[in-house]
Amino acid sequence: MNLIRLLSGGLAIAAFSVLGTANAAPDGRELYIEHCSACHQMEGQSGIGLPLLNAKLADVSDNYLHSTIRLGRPGRVMPAFQRLSDAQVGAIVKFLRQRSETKEIVYSDEPVAGDAAHGQALYAENCVKCHGADGTGEGPGTGVTTSRERTFLVMPASISNTGFLASAPDQMIRRVIHVGRKSSGMPSFDGKLSETDIDDLVAYVRSFDQQERSVAEIDADERPTHVFESPHDFETTVKNVKAALTGANFRIFPDRLLEQGLTDEFSVNTRQVGVRFCNFNVLYGMLKIEPRLGVVLPCRITIMEREGGEVILVVPNLRVISRWFNNDELVGLWDRMEETFTNIIDEATL
Amino acid sequence: MKGAALKLILLGAAFLFARASVADNMIMARVPLRAEIVLEYVKASIEEHGYTVAHLQLCDGGMKDFGYESDFYRVVFFGKVDEVRMVSARYPELVSYLPLKIAVIAEKNETLLTVLNPEALAPFFPDEALQIQLGRWQSDLMSIFQDVRRAVGARIVSNH
Repeated sequence: MNLIRLLSGGLAIAAFSVLGTANAAPDGRELYIEHCSACHQMEGQSGIGLPLLNAKLADVSDNYLHSTIRLGRPGRVMPAFQRLSDAQVGAIVKFLRQRSETKEIVYSDEPVAGDAAHGQALYAENCVKCHGADGTGEGPGTGVTTSRERTFLVMPASISNTGFLASAPDQMIRRVIHVGRKSSGMPSFDGKLSETDIDDLVAYVRSFDQQERSVAEIDADERPTHVFESPHDFETTVKNVKAALTGANFRIFPDRLLEQGLTDEFSVNTRQVGVRFCNFNVLYGMLKIEPRLGVVLPCRITIMEREGGEVILVVPNLRVISRWFNNDELVGLWDRMEETFTNIIDEATL
Repeated sequence: MKGAALKLILLGAAFLFARASVADNMIMARVPLRAEIVLEYVKASIEEHGYTVAHLQLCDGGMKDFGYESDFYRVVFFGKVDEVRMVSARYPELVSYLPLKIAVIAEKNETLLTVLNPEALAPFFPDEALQIQLGRWQSDLMSIFQDVRRAVGARIVSNH
């Protein structure tokens, strides 16, 4: 035990020394903890992010990992780490290699020539069940969480994602089809498909490059909240909002003043109230899609009486907020929910 | 046994110096400790940074009332009354994002801390004073997460 205490003390001093050294080489482990562990967990077991299995790492090149960190997976939770330097990304890749005790496979950049039309037929027959017709991966859900119900233990890769396609050379896709990925349930097609068939499949997967992303960009002038003027007084506005929410099947929580809990009850501004509401059926479904949703919960419409007596309603713009999560499935749901919010405000301010 | 303890110490030491991750719109951190305990560290650090914890939202509590099984899921709301007053007076659009809030999410014996990065709002509000305020909030949130990680790292090291 003394040895361990001594070691821990030594480690702390060493860490201080390392941190204190200007221009020290980036530490891949520190960077992994800082940027990756929140989603992938410390040992890469998965969480919000996909598992970083040793077997999977053994199939890919360092360039693929580098590019994946740099580009992320647009719309699939994994962010693009554009702020990291090349040296920092390289250090994370090196750390992943050391931890997994794997060696990279270096793939040539030589494109695979194949018949994409024939590949499409083969894809429908062999791949669509797991990767989906559009290549985005099986069923609803983005990434993996330990608490989420899923048909598959591991979510099949989104092979139509622009981040994947930009990171994975044809030769890598070709090899994965050949040998499969036992760790994630992907079968080997060696012997089941001919070399030509596999080339055709690669050509079809590559053609996903042309596929348009299902999530529409929002207008540049959209704001993070909507502000509406109410034609009613403060009390009537609050009452109307609650009635409209009840009509839309939301459960309303007790009112909460904007400053409540931040100051004493005599100083709190009672003309700024948050009407908080939830539909637990909808919320439960959404948390499966986006476990980090708590950062914007609960839904709230803030009603404020301004100095001149004017009453305004402030409502978060779901179309803007949903795009901050880099989660296309959430975006689709919230774009529709935005309409519900608009109807509620219309009804409350009639 | 010694090997496992050493591994934990290494992990704890690493967490002593780790920072939170900023991926543009979200600040996140994972800590290898149960959420109930981490929540207390979060609240303590919030107070140490000069904020007041306004209230605690039990997201899973509401869901359990409706018969759903759920893990520990809390949202801590906090702020400074002067800042909230300043924002509601000058930038009423921003009140939807106040008080600030941190989600504390259990993942088995680990905890995920996550918060919207206030700087995500910066492109919408060119006002210089507000840009400084948003930057300060981001910095404080990063510091709170770092404090929690340090506290958890120190706890792991001292327990072994």
